[in-house]
Amino acid sequence: MLTGEAALSVRHVDVWGRLFIQQMSRIGVDSVPIALFIAAFTGIVLSLQASYTFTGAIPLYFVGVLVGKTMMLELGPVLTGLALSGRVGANIAAELGTMRVTEQVDALETLAYPPVAYLVLPRVMAGIIMFPVVTALAIGMGIAAGWVTALQLLNMSTPEFVNGLTLFFLPFDVMFATVKAVSFGFVVTSIGCYFGFNARGGAEGVGRNTTRAVVVSSMVILALDAFWAVVLL
Amino acid sequence: MSIELRDVHKAFGSNEVLRGFSIMAEEGETLVVMGQSGSGKSVMLKHIVGLLIPDQGTVWVDGAEVNRLERKRLFELRRKVGYVFQFAALFDSMTIAENVAMGLRRIKGTTTDQIRERVAECLALVDLEGFQSRLPAELSGGQQKRAGIARAIATRPKYLLYDEPTSGLDPVTKAVIDRLILRMRHLVGVTGLVITHDVESAYRVGDRIAMLHEGRCRFVGTPDEVRDTEDPVVKGFMEGRPELMEVAS
Repeated sequence: MLTGEAALSVRHVDVWGRLFIQQMSRIGVDSVPIALFIAAFTGIVLSLQASYTFTGAIPLYFVGVLVGKTMMLELGPVLTGLALSGRVGANIAAELGTMRVTEQVDALETLAYPPVAYLVLPRVMAGIIMFPVVTALAIGMGIAAGWVTALQLLNMSTPEFVNGLTLFFLPFDVMFATVKAVSFGFVVTSIGCYFGFNARGGAEGVGRNTTRAVVVSSMVILALDAFWAVVLL
Repeated sequence: MSIELRDVHKAFGSNEVLRGFSIMAEEGETLVVMGQSGSGKSVMLKHIVGLLIPDQGTVWVDGAEVNRLERKRLFELRRKVGYVFQFAALFDSMTIAENVAMGLRRIKGTTTDQIRERVAECLALVDLEGFQSRLPAELSGGQQKRAGIARAIATRPKYLLYDEPTSGLDPVTKAVIDRLILRMRHLVGVTGLVITHDVESAYRVGDRIAMLHEGRCRFVGTPDEVRDTEDPVVKGFMEGRPELMEVAS
């Protein structure tokens, strides 16, 4: 229902337009450091584990294949989604929940602002647009970290790593990662908004719903991850 | 034009809060609705701006039946009604000026300069000149309530609803808020509906005083009529004598 109302609220551009830019910064730009941090260490570990697994049996340039494919198809979108469900989802649920229990949402209504257009729509739209951007940066960072690791610790050369990286690359991989990131952005922000909007019972209720928002969005991300693999691969 | 509730029923699960509540605030008057904590005063007030929909009965504001209005018309009606929340409900991430300007930004054709001027005017009216750049957390409880009033009057509403405007305040601040409510009526000429359980305040600001008891309007009259009434519930409440109310129940 909340999502339907949000879709109907698109026409209130005067209400959500300015806030949309603000939310793109809060949801997207502010999330870049944590996403890059996670991706960097994931890239390092992927590179080392690939080399450990392939020793002797498979040419070492396959390290590039594994790092590239895994970061793009799976770990880039999923780890970014899970990290942002904690950072963004919790933030949205706590902020909207506090606004609900302190009657700020009611105050918005009395001032003739449609709360869904003002609070939900800019967040969900910012999530849909910025999750793919953050995910793309995370994938880039993961691959870069894997490459540096391959150069420094696995005695590989850049041409070797790039050769592996491009060997099985398909433009579809980018589309697959984008679809996942868009869906995760929608899920994290809309679930955060739902639990924030429906918070009751003071600080305890806000805390409870914030936890629920993170748990539910993390579970939905993992379920969606499997869903897209079944449908698109 | 006035505010009228006719036979309003509202229940939350098995808890019947309003059981046929009817009342009317005449144009230009300040009507005070009193009642014990948890008697449904805030619930009643939220029906007037369509934040709650009655299970039964009708709510009329400015000649329109609130619960039948489509969303666009409801928002138009809300622009005529200022709502002062019990705990101010100021947007805590915004400055006081931004809070007061919120309603004004929804009025098409209002320029930034006009908004700035009106904000300053409203803050001056509630004795908060120079507080524009402060955050709500930097204000005392009484100042927050006054900022809430400034926000409510910014769009020049015809009606002002006050939800417990003096609860939790010291006697001096209470008197300041009461004076402010009177000033709003005299300067701005609004129809006011004040809900409170503060007897002194009710006598100070009310043209008429009503008593909400067990979900219904138990009594309505002028302050003098309230003082003279022999109704045990009203008398017991006004004089702080629970034994009278218990006997009546």
